[in-house]
Amino acid sequence: MVEKVLIANRGEIALRVARACRELGIACVAVYSTADADSAVVRFADEAVHIGPPAAARSYLHIPSIIGAALKTGADAIHPGYGFLSEDPYFAEICAEHGITFIGPPASVMEKMGNKATARQAMKEAGLPLLPGTIEPVATADEAQYVADDIGYPVIIKAAAGGGGRGMSVVNRREDLRRAYQMTRATAQAIFKDSNVYIERYLRTARHTEIQIVCDSLGDGIHLGERDCSVQRRHQKLIEEAPSIHLTPELRAAMGSAAVKGALSVGYTGAGTMEFLLDEEGRYWFMEMNTRIQVEHPVSEMVTGIDLIKEQIRVAQGQPLTHSQDEVRLTGHAIECRINAEDPARDFAPAAGRLEEFAPPGGPWTRVDSHCRPGWMVSPYYDSLIAKLIVWAPDRGEALDRMARALSEFRVNGPGMRTTIGFHQRVFAHPVFRSGDFYTDFIDRHMAG
Amino acid sequence: MSEVEEHPEQHEEKLLDSLVRQARDLSKAMPGALSRVTVTAGDHQVEVEWQAPVTVAAVAGAVPATAFSPATAVTAAVPAFEPEAPIGHAVVAPLVGTFYRAAEPGATPYVNEGDVVEAGQELAIVEAMKIMNRVEADRAGRIVKILPSDGEMVEYGQELMYIEPVSSDTE
Repeated sequence: MVEKVLIANRGEIALRVARACRELGIACVAVYSTADADSAVVRFADEAVHIGPPAAARSYLHIPSIIGAALKTGADAIHPGYGFLSEDPYFAEICAEHGITFIGPPASVMEKMGNKATARQAMKEAGLPLLPGTIEPVATADEAQYVADDIGYPVIIKAAAGGGGRGMSVVNRREDLRRAYQMTRATAQAIFKDSNVYIERYLRTARHTEIQIVCDSLGDGIHLGERDCSVQRRHQKLIEEAPSIHLTPELRAAMGSAAVKGALSVGYTGAGTMEFLLDEEGRYWFMEMNTRIQVEHPVSEMVTGIDLIKEQIRVAQGQPLTHSQDEVRLTGHAIECRINAEDPARDFAPAAGRLEEFAPPGGPWTRVDSHCRPGWMVSPYYDSLIAKLIVWAPDRGEALDRMARALSEFRVNGPGMRTTIGFHQRVFAHPVFRSGDFYTDFIDRHMAG
Repeated sequence: MSEVEEHPEQHEEKLLDSLVRQARDLSKAMPGALSRVTVTAGDHQVEVEWQAPVTVAAVAGAVPATAFSPATAVTAAVPAFEPEAPIGHAVVAPLVGTFYRAAEPGATPYVNEGDVVEAGQELAIVEAMKIMNRVEADRAGRIVKILPSDGEMVEYGQELMYIEPVSSDTE
């Protein structure tokens, strides 16, 4: 059994994991860089270890320091959160070699599903629908041209090792293909140290619909319904909601069981997300799998009442799932807004600085997951997420009104500080967003300028 | 660009140490060249300034750093205190790992308290995942204190040894 969890992350997710540990009666260890020496999770955790300077490569991404911190404190498990080392199979393997439980899937499964090309192959074998496109990486510009002409435009070129919305190019016209192919390869090499790319059809009027799953090590898996994440800017999610108003109960059950079947077919354990594209006719295609907890997991927690972080920790210890599929009930509607320290007027450029005022909203069914407080320095070294604002209501209309109310309460100020709060307020006032009848191009089409 | 850590409830006798440590940590943490470091006990402040803008390379899970405007010093008020005499310059751990005073078990320690060392001399090793990381003297002087015991796990920035300057007429 796990007795002490080291949290190999920072920010709101580190605090979220620490809270779950506390409720489970498990000790937790925070690790921190110099920039995070007085962070919320350092204050909250039972122990804290200084692992390096602010640069992530020498702290939160530095495996020897994190393993060293676990050995120093006697932690018997590591929760990687999201980002950083959460999808690094090598890190999962190193944990296992040191007798430390990695709270996530086995390294080999993570490796297979973390690569978009091998994941597509595995899910094809499991019988999941895939968009027309390549399974094997496309090796040359000539081959890319041939493949794209065959699929038909628009196409999307994706880095096989990509993630987090990076390493993707949409190509609308035949004459743009070669340049986009070369650029995506170069970007993929620079960011992911792997220049392999593949090509698939791009659906402009599609909805980004993802299924939350959890599998235990006894071979059981369940899904917790879907999240609609269609409000994106440059493939970065800004707003997520559950359930999707575009799924019938039958379609939800079909997509959910396909997701679980796909995950179990590769021996997946832990929490994970299967991302699908959904079109207007209710057809869906597997896109990729995220082999970790996701930023937007709270919306699934709010509509199911299941604590996903606790569930991750339980199944990592070999315990069975707490719910059968029949016991998972979706109730009401939940929405999450990502509050980022970014300036929407300057193309969402990160706007770090010290928070003079940080007054999150409260009130009924209003949840704020954040590590921030007045006086906290929003560091330029890490991602710009400062808070996740989540509301729940019996139906979507009331949830929209509740979110608008909560956003109007949220006060964040400081020298140079800009946030996405005002941008979210404009989205929630937009009739197209309120209607729910929008696609992944909502921001470009309706919020430009 | 500058940053100050506040210590409103620090015990007085620990205040100077804390100020020195904060200044040192901040100065090491900053990506640009240092332009000024101030540790004023009477005025109760730590002040670190460095050159900007500096861009840190993007890594997975992080975003590229934003440039700050340079030299916007912030000063934190801290309670008054009587400083202790400084115990010397601290050599700190370069990363998390196991502190060893000798190259292998049973071997002669690299240094002992009282030894005079040259800048660049090996003082100890910090082992992390089978990799031996040298800890070197970043200045010449006498080792006045060795803090962790041999084989102890240390964290990043933890003080390992104090080096006191040796005046030239005694050398």
